[in-house]
Amino acid sequence: MSDAHVGSPAPVTSPARVLDEGTSLSALTVVGQILIRSGSVIALLVGWELLAQSGAFTTFLLPPLSLVLERVWEDLTSGELFVNLGLTLYRAAAGFTIAAVGGIALGILIARIRAVHWLFDPVVSVGFPMPKIAFLPVFMLWFGLYDFSKISMIAFDCVFPVIAATVAATQSVETQIIWSARSLGAKDRTILWEIMLPAALPQILTGLQIALPIALIVAIVCEMLMGGEGLGGAMIQSSRFANSPGVFAGILEIAVAGWLVIKGQEWIRRKLLIWHQESQNVATV
Amino acid sequence: MAATAWRYTPLLLLVIIWEAGTRLGIISTWALPTFDSVVTAWIGLLDGGELLYHAGASLMRGAAGLGLSIVIGTLLGILMAWIKPIRIVFNPIVQVFYPIPKSALIPIMMLWLGFGHSSKIMLIFLGCMLPVTISAFNGARGVDHVLIWSARSLGASPRQVLFEVVAPGAMPEILAGIRTAIALSFVLLVSSELIVSREGLGYLIGWLGDGGVYNAMFAVVLTVAGLGFVADRGWLMLMRRMLSWRE
Amino acid sequence: MAEGNRVTAAIRVDGVSHVYRPPRGRPVLALDKISLEVHEHEFLALLGPSGCGKSTLLYLMGGFMPISEGSIYVGDRQVTGPGPDRGIVFQHFALFPWKTVRQNVLYGLEKLGLPREEQIRRAQEYIDMVKLTGFEDSYPNQLSGGMKQRAAIARTLAVDPQILLMDEPFGALDAQTRSLMQEELLSIWQRTRKTVVFVTHDVQEAVYLAERIAVMTARPGRIKTIVDSRFQEKGPGLLKSPAFVEKVDDVWNLVRQEAIAAQGGAKAGGGD
Repeated sequence: MSDAHVGSPAPVTSPARVLDEGTSLSALTVVGQILIRSGSVIALLVGWELLAQSGAFTTFLLPPLSLVLERVWEDLTSGELFVNLGLTLYRAAAGFTIAAVGGIALGILIARIRAVHWLFDPVVSVGFPMPKIAFLPVFMLWFGLYDFSKISMIAFDCVFPVIAATVAATQSVETQIIWSARSLGAKDRTILWEIMLPAALPQILTGLQIALPIALIVAIVCEMLMGGEGLGGAMIQSSRFANSPGVFAGILEIAVAGWLVIKGQEWIRRKLLIWHQESQNVATV
Repeated sequence: MAATAWRYTPLLLLVIIWEAGTRLGIISTWALPTFDSVVTAWIGLLDGGELLYHAGASLMRGAAGLGLSIVIGTLLGILMAWIKPIRIVFNPIVQVFYPIPKSALIPIMMLWLGFGHSSKIMLIFLGCMLPVTISAFNGARGVDHVLIWSARSLGASPRQVLFEVVAPGAMPEILAGIRTAIALSFVLLVSSELIVSREGLGYLIGWLGDGGVYNAMFAVVLTVAGLGFVADRGWLMLMRRMLSWRE
Repeated sequence: MAEGNRVTAAIRVDGVSHVYRPPRGRPVLALDKISLEVHEHEFLALLGPSGCGKSTLLYLMGGFMPISEGSIYVGDRQVTGPGPDRGIVFQHFALFPWKTVRQNVLYGLEKLGLPREEQIRRAQEYIDMVKLTGFEDSYPNQLSGGMKQRAAIARTLAVDPQILLMDEPFGALDAQTRSLMQEELLSIWQRTRKTVVFVTHDVQEAVYLAERIAVMTARPGRIKTIVDSRFQEKGPGLLKSPAFVEKVDDVWNLVRQEAIAAQGGAKAGGGD
């Protein structure tokens, strides 16, 4: 795709690598490191509790951490947490999967067939920076008030980064790798599956890694707008009833969900791209 | 010039299909009003003043929140890269907030600040801080050590190095981070206005939709989408100009 | 090494021209009516300055790019596309990064449709031949430059091509590794006796490895002259012999003018 859209996705790394600590930490043990890294978070949580208890803010504005955790526990034991979390994750996953499959397929076609490229390039280029959430009322008009409109909105939002990444990845496969395969006897039909896709995989995965958090965000916003069940719906309910522990509990739950998604992504990427990461220990013979 | 026109022709095709399809009854006008009715509605909104009023509210909120996040985020990011204690303190905070979908902050803002301007501005400010801070940090960190050492050996004080070497060196990455923040600000703005607002373009869309005035609703939706697109392209052009030394 | 009866040409290049069309800018004539014969079992070097089109000529022989004018014959068949009869080794290895060394070497063998045990046996044979035993299950990213190139050579040799096309294969390696690899290539060639077309810009490398050197002009590339580079015995000791040094000097003089012309007139872009 041309450079006029949100360029090829930057490598997405977790903040652990984005903001890597100084070397002074390397001297400590593993446990020591974990303690120090979570130190600030723990301090944050402790500070939260103390601040809330101090009476500087009302319970409404800043409910104590203990109260919020109580509420989370309630949700957990009553099963509501699972229902809501499950629904939100289901919608996000469904929309994401559609976007992933469709996006990769379309991306490959755009990269390889001129006519398809001409047709879709402006659509993707123009659509990428648009706040696509603005189309939600349109989707609601077309598809009703239930899951289908939410899932289509999620897919709509996620498909763009996937397409952009796939196109960039496919176009940047080293020509000489394809030539090598050809000279070793590979036929044109097999080249796509055997050579291009594996070679493009790292960048495609990056696109998917950008799309997945988007899926979660959009799922939550759709739920907030349309109400009903799901983490977003539950949160907006709480806020409408001025139930501040409920809102904070919701944030904690969503934060955990978001964190799990990102960790899961990293794990999958490590497993799939073993060959890619192994640039550390270089043997010499 | 001609090349650009040719490149965007498929969009024209899309519009033609839209108009033809709805006119010929292939697509039900209940679901999709004709393109020209959307245009007429748009002009009507413009004349009636609603469009400008709500657009003004939205853009004001967006600009305020975004502007604050850019200034403070850049400062914080660069300081984090430059001064270790600051980094150690803020690093985990960033790590904690990074995976949280920023839209989760909408109900809290509503709780704390209500339906008006301040909740949106705060939301955008907090949400956009993250990409800006991270890019500023990475950008500042990424400045080649040899550049800093050269400056020092030429007599620059640490403060001068910060302003004259590190900040400009981090610029490309910061500008890229701001681009992300701009897109995010639009999303947060529209989302929060759709859900909890009494004015603004998002609110207008919802209000028109509830009232069944679909051609006007489509008009505003397209306006918002268009604004997002223009903002992104505009920023891109600005980036190119500012980074012309890179070419 | 007895001089055989070299009647059949392994590769015959007949009046081949090639035009390079960059995405932006005007087309450039890269090769100008080149005619050349590569004899069977010989080691031929294509030597010339940057941009002279030597790699382009190699790619045309390999069938990777379409020929604008003229034709290339391998044996008695015209080249229309790539195939396992012409193995290729690239400067930047072009290994499949998601496959281990063994899987890379097996790739061509799988295409040949041999029985599985035979594939594995052959792959191991060639891995051993290039002295990568023990690294069969390593990924390319874990290997040094020299090892990657050996893996690439093993992969290419495994399908037993009659012709070996090599595009500055040691250009990306450090000087020491390069010397070692040159010796190894020489010994492999002496054992397997394939036809080798070897592209390089390094005069000493060409004189050391090749039996004949085709010196090319700066762009548009033509064959300036063909130099004989056979010696009594090829080995590391050769490098110091006066005959060798003199030959290198002669060839360098031929190349120097072209190199200067290439420096002055050459612009960025354009294939080599």
